[in-house]
Amino acid sequence: MTAKLIVQGLSHHYPDEYTGVSVHALEDINLEVNDGEFVAVVGPSGCGKTTLLNILAGLLPYRHGTATVDSKIIDGPGPDRGVVFQEHAILPWRTVAGNIGHGLELQKVSRQERRDRVAEFIEMVGLVGFEDSYPHELSGGMKQRCAVARTLCADPEIMSMDEPFAAVDAQTRITLQEELIRIAIATKKTILFITHAVDEAAFLGDRCFVFSRRPGRLRETVQINIPREERNWQDIAANPEFVRARDRILSLVREEVVADE
Amino acid sequence: MSDSLNRFLAFWRHFSGAKVINLALIIAGLLGAWALISGSIDNPGRYLPSPLAVAASSVDMLYKGLLPSYFGDTISRLVIGSLIGLGLGIPFGLLLGLNRTVSDIFFPIMNFFQSVSGIAIFPIVVIWWGNSDKTVLAVILYTCFFPVAFNVLSGVREVPLRYIHSAYTLGASKFQVIRDVLAPGALPHIATGSRLGIGFASRAVIADEMLAGREGLGWMIFTGQDADMTSQVILGMLMIGLTWIVLDHYLLRPLEADTIERWGLVHR
Amino acid sequence: MNVLTKFSLYVQGRFGRHRLRRFLLGSIPFVFLLTLWQMNTTFEWLAPVFIPSIGGVIDAIFVLQSDCSGLVGVLSLDNSCLMTTHILSSIGRVLLAAIIGIPLGIIFGILAGMNRLVSSVLEPVGIFANSISGIAWVPLAIVWFGVGSLTTLFIMLNTVFWLMFFNAMLGTRGIAKVYEQSVLTMGGNRWNIVIQVYLPGAMPSIITGMRMSLGFGWRALIAAEMIGGDSGLGFMIFTAAEEFNVEQVFLGVIVISIIYLVTDHYLLGPLEKWTTHRWGLTWKPT
Repeated sequence: MTAKLIVQGLSHHYPDEYTGVSVHALEDINLEVNDGEFVAVVGPSGCGKTTLLNILAGLLPYRHGTATVDSKIIDGPGPDRGVVFQEHAILPWRTVAGNIGHGLELQKVSRQERRDRVAEFIEMVGLVGFEDSYPHELSGGMKQRCAVARTLCADPEIMSMDEPFAAVDAQTRITLQEELIRIAIATKKTILFITHAVDEAAFLGDRCFVFSRRPGRLRETVQINIPREERNWQDIAANPEFVRARDRILSLVREEVVADE
Repeated sequence: MSDSLNRFLAFWRHFSGAKVINLALIIAGLLGAWALISGSIDNPGRYLPSPLAVAASSVDMLYKGLLPSYFGDTISRLVIGSLIGLGLGIPFGLLLGLNRTVSDIFFPIMNFFQSVSGIAIFPIVVIWWGNSDKTVLAVILYTCFFPVAFNVLSGVREVPLRYIHSAYTLGASKFQVIRDVLAPGALPHIATGSRLGIGFASRAVIADEMLAGREGLGWMIFTGQDADMTSQVILGMLMIGLTWIVLDHYLLRPLEADTIERWGLVHR
Repeated sequence: MNVLTKFSLYVQGRFGRHRLRRFLLGSIPFVFLLTLWQMNTTFEWLAPVFIPSIGGVIDAIFVLQSDCSGLVGVLSLDNSCLMTTHILSSIGRVLLAAIIGIPLGIIFGILAGMNRLVSSVLEPVGIFANSISGIAWVPLAIVWFGVGSLTTLFIMLNTVFWLMFFNAMLGTRGIAKVYEQSVLTMGGNRWNIVIQVYLPGAMPSIITGMRMSLGFGWRALIAAEMIGGDSGLGFMIFTAAEEFNVEQVFLGVIVISIIYLVTDHYLLGPLEKWTTHRWGLTWKPT
């Protein structure tokens, strides 16, 4: 069975705004993500993680290499590749329900069906009772929940998440991470999760791509063989597989960071 | 006895806190001062007719049906010009804002035309189309269009990129992005721009009527000065002032404020 | 690296790549319009009486200045040096209105901001005076002062004063009472408070007000000169229009715009940004 997402030979440069010198963001990336996998992407600052995400989301045109989802070449943004952005991007002028249903609305899904699907996701992310609230009335964590629900509701083939929990406080982050695992179990979505936090990567991912410093190369892929049902913060800290994977990722990233200095 | 005095004083204190009473007192005071000045100068009929004279003049003009007719002329020009100005300016600004490069191209020229006031354009248009209603309308349109388009353009440029991106990743077409992201996102600026545009247009109407000699409130005060009917002049000025106050304070500003506060957007 | 690349990088470094890009992109419409303008004349699309030739507009400068007797003539506002006379008349009125109107507006505005009684009287008057736009005052001003300089000066003064008044008043009101209190508790008197708290505190609003009132005032002045003036740029373009002297009209409009744009963009704008930026205050009245 072919992988969901296939990237081959992807390289990317972009011209620096102030010096005109071109920045080599990514170098010869080859990776695959299978259907239903939860893959984390980790690396030092400037390793091109966000560039990769933007390319896969179709927000950044690329020239070298190929990237396909379900064997279709990525060429522009679309609902098949959903994105949860770092800073919430839910529209302030729509209610929670309005935001979550936005993707369906754009696809011209009927109002009745929309209502049902939105209700489903509201429950899934735990925002029951806030359907008619506006974003400015919500906390940071709730806004991100809404963003996740919105992306999922549009039923993408693959969902990319760009450090979505970075701006949230530590307590909320733990809760959101566990919720995300639940959602992954329930929806079986293919998820690409970009993060700085090694802990988070090991906790969430079935596999973890570790990137080198700029120019970003895929340094190593670390397997994390822990069944999803067992991923909760209470138990996992003692799990030897978790510790092994996390330490491996951490030492790799450290090497990359140190080499930069 | 002192009990009822106390009650009266409390009542008075309570009432004089009320803004309306204060305002009424101030207006009465100003009218009184006006009447005083008017009575103490030579030839008040020419230089500063008393409030009574102005009132008499207004009754006279109302009776002849002139006042409503002039008022109607001016208002209809303002409304038509503003509607077209908004109807063209808002879509123009939205479309230009869709693409960053396009909006970068048009931003300076819009800024430029916004500063070349309608009044300065007037002599050019007059050479083309003479002293006609067409000229006046064209100048009003010009005066209204640019502030609106410019403000809408600015507003669209300020919509955070991630909102636009997220709409695209949900499968939105360009039109849907304008409708669902750019237009609501720029709404505060649309409101402000509209208020400014209509404000400029209302000033332009008066000036244009004077310059082009078209009937209306502006014309009324201009000919009043010419025919030495100063009370007509003052009457016209009062009407213009009142109309604008009502328009701005009770219609335009509340609409604008309501729009801005609605979604917790802080754009100021 | 060849010379061209070196130069390009130098320019980018000096001005910033972004600013350069925006400048180049932004000048496209201007270049386009200028080209259209010249093409109109060359290919004779519209008759010259509607859109004059660029050369004709420039020539008008010399026509107006033709009998000018040099610097003396210019400075004495001699009628043979019409172009400079008109420009100087208008600018002179701006300066005069600014010198008188701005300080007066600031003083009354701060007073009104500090004192409820003063503001309760002046504010309604101001709102009303402002809503009767500058232009509508012209006929009354003509009755009082006749056609000419005094009328046009009055119109601009009126506009400038009231705008400054409002901005100074709102700026003063917006200053937290706690600043006044801290000066008082340090032994300051009322005068100290005005100079050290209210004046600096209201300064951003005042500067914004200066920029706005000069902008509005300039426009009102031009209009007043058109309707009730006997000299100045507004007068010049109005009379030129009556004579169908379209070159002169275009010239006048261009000069009017340039004066405004240069002053606003290179003088008042930076001044405003500098003060609000410096004190980290971004309070802006409407």
